[in-house]
Amino acid sequence: MQRTRSGRRPWTFYALAAFFTVYVLFLYGPMSAIYILSFQGPNGGLTFPLNGVSLTWFYALFEQQRTGDIAGSFARSIALALMVLVLTVVISVMAGLAFRRRFFGATFVFYMAIASLIMPGLLISLGIGLMFQFFGLRPGWYTSALGAHLSWTLPFGLLIMFAVFSRFDRSYEEAARDLGASDWKILWTIVLPILLPGMIAVALFGFTLSYDEFPRTSIAVGARNTLPLEIWNMTTNVTSPALFAIGTVTTALSFLVIAIALGSIALIQRRRTRRLPGGAAKLEAGVARP
Amino acid sequence: MTQASDIELVGVTKRFADLVAVDAIDLTIPAGTYCCLLGPSGCGKTTILRMIAGHEEPTEGVIRIGGDNVVGLPPVRRGTAMMFQSYALFPHMTVLDNVAYNLRMRGVGKAERRERARAMLDKVQLGPLALRMPAQLSGGQQQRVALARAIITNPRVLLLDEPLSALDEYLRLQMRSELRRLQRELGITFVHVTHTQLEAIAVADVVVVMDQGHIEQAAAPEVIYATPQSAYVARFMGGHNVLSGRLAQIAGGLAAIENDRGGRFELAMEEGLAARGDPVNVSIRRDRVALENGAAAAGINRVSGTVDAIEYQGAFVKVTMRIAGDEEFVAYLRDDQFLKRPVAIGDIATASWQRDDLHLLRADLGRVALDAGRPYQNP
Repeated sequence: MQRTRSGRRPWTFYALAAFFTVYVLFLYGPMSAIYILSFQGPNGGLTFPLNGVSLTWFYALFEQQRTGDIAGSFARSIALALMVLVLTVVISVMAGLAFRRRFFGATFVFYMAIASLIMPGLLISLGIGLMFQFFGLRPGWYTSALGAHLSWTLPFGLLIMFAVFSRFDRSYEEAARDLGASDWKILWTIVLPILLPGMIAVALFGFTLSYDEFPRTSIAVGARNTLPLEIWNMTTNVTSPALFAIGTVTTALSFLVIAIALGSIALIQRRRTRRLPGGAAKLEAGVARP
Repeated sequence: MTQASDIELVGVTKRFADLVAVDAIDLTIPAGTYCCLLGPSGCGKTTILRMIAGHEEPTEGVIRIGGDNVVGLPPVRRGTAMMFQSYALFPHMTVLDNVAYNLRMRGVGKAERRERARAMLDKVQLGPLALRMPAQLSGGQQQRVALARAIITNPRVLLLDEPLSALDEYLRLQMRSELRRLQRELGITFVHVTHTQLEAIAVADVVVVMDQGHIEQAAAPEVIYATPQSAYVARFMGGHNVLSGRLAQIAGGLAAIENDRGGRFELAMEEGLAARGDPVNVSIRRDRVALENGAAAAGINRVSGTVDAIEYQGAFVKVTMRIAGDEEFVAYLRDDQFLKRPVAIGDIATASWQRDDLHLLRADLGRVALDAGRPYQNP
């Protein structure tokens, strides 16, 4: 922290500190209220104070209710997010590899792909819905909504792969070729393992962007809702703390996914800089060998 | 066991878009030679190395290794192995797996390839580090892993791209002699790219001095250092002062060269090499110069100027003078000689030399202009 000569902080410090405090209150205050209220007792209502503490509303979530199909929409959202994850990783890596060669029209193709980021999601959704209708196809969460989600995740995946490849040293590939590896072997034994942390980042983006996607899904989803759409529906007719329990569960799941992704990246980096567990013992055995 | 192989480049040209990186080069590197490609960055030396390795293909020309044209062949089928400037050790594999990579690609079983890789690591004294990851090694250790990984392929030719540039001074000197020793032991051809003159002349059997896609001179290091062919080589190798003028007269094997600043230099020169009035460049080694205080009367084979800098270098003293035409002239004086007749900064001094020490820069004869400027004046 830089201080003025007299040792006092400039007024901008207090202004920014106040701004940050307000920001934190806005972000975590309402969310914390929701998490706390989700543990409301069986007879509690939608507002403070807590009328006892229980898990009643969490159990309520996983029973088919007349108010909404939480369990079903949750399963669909997870399945959809996993499909989006796999497709985003595979397509982004292949696109990243392709863009390393400056093919004809590369810049145009790149901007076409990136433009999707600034298009209004609701309109994309509407367009996809209309297109399916025009061709007489039935929209569904694993067809039209899948496409809608990919239109959102692929530009992110591509941008991440660009960043990853810009730091990728081509001499790794040349060294592998020098040592007799075919193009296919170079890809599998050198390029993909080195890119792995970047691919996990793409996977994380693909999963989380899909899991809480709302506008692009809204009209393209078909008959069965994904979780965000189901929650939106429920806000209009559910009047129990189950609504808050949904918030707590989905947030916990998001954090879990992020923790798994970051944890695996950290593990890979650690393996590359530290001795493998048990390595020392094997090492000694190796040295002692006659 | 591998056998050494000649490398032959015939009319090799490499163009990148509208840039000519290598321009119609002919070069033969005899089998079992330690060859250094030397030149400033951008002179095309790395491009030549990469074309021999098969990581670039020549736009025109033929590259033969052991008599076979290798243009178009993948690196493995050329019998070359390359050590990259950054070493390019695979960051996700242990040192052992890095060294075993070539054997793995050749389909050698896991147990056998690990055994052989371990033996190779022992050879470069890295056995105890076999299970480390590359990021855990020092620069010098990484370099030896890269070397082991290249040598395990049993190459006919080992190609080294600036192998010592990432090391500190102490390690550089150590690895330099280790490379030389390794080349003698293996008996294969080494091609080593560097921009450091002292590194090249210390290790190489043949030094190839390059400039802008051309070979300026290719010869043994002592030949290059003592008898450079052109002002470029003399300046780039260092240790020389280049003087230029026009041929004033030539008779009886003795030529006189005069410049418009009152200099007159004489040296032995066969007749017919140049006509009167032709531009001629000559050089004098910095350590073959005697220095006196004061301006000299006009004379032959001497220049006067103001002392600009004096640096004590241990074995000798480096005296830099500014002579007519604002050119630098450097004398290396033995410390005892310097102390006998000390000059101080700002003094007028005169440098002189024996006629036999003046050296004709033959390759400059017939080149269009008088040599001007000093692009690679060495410190």
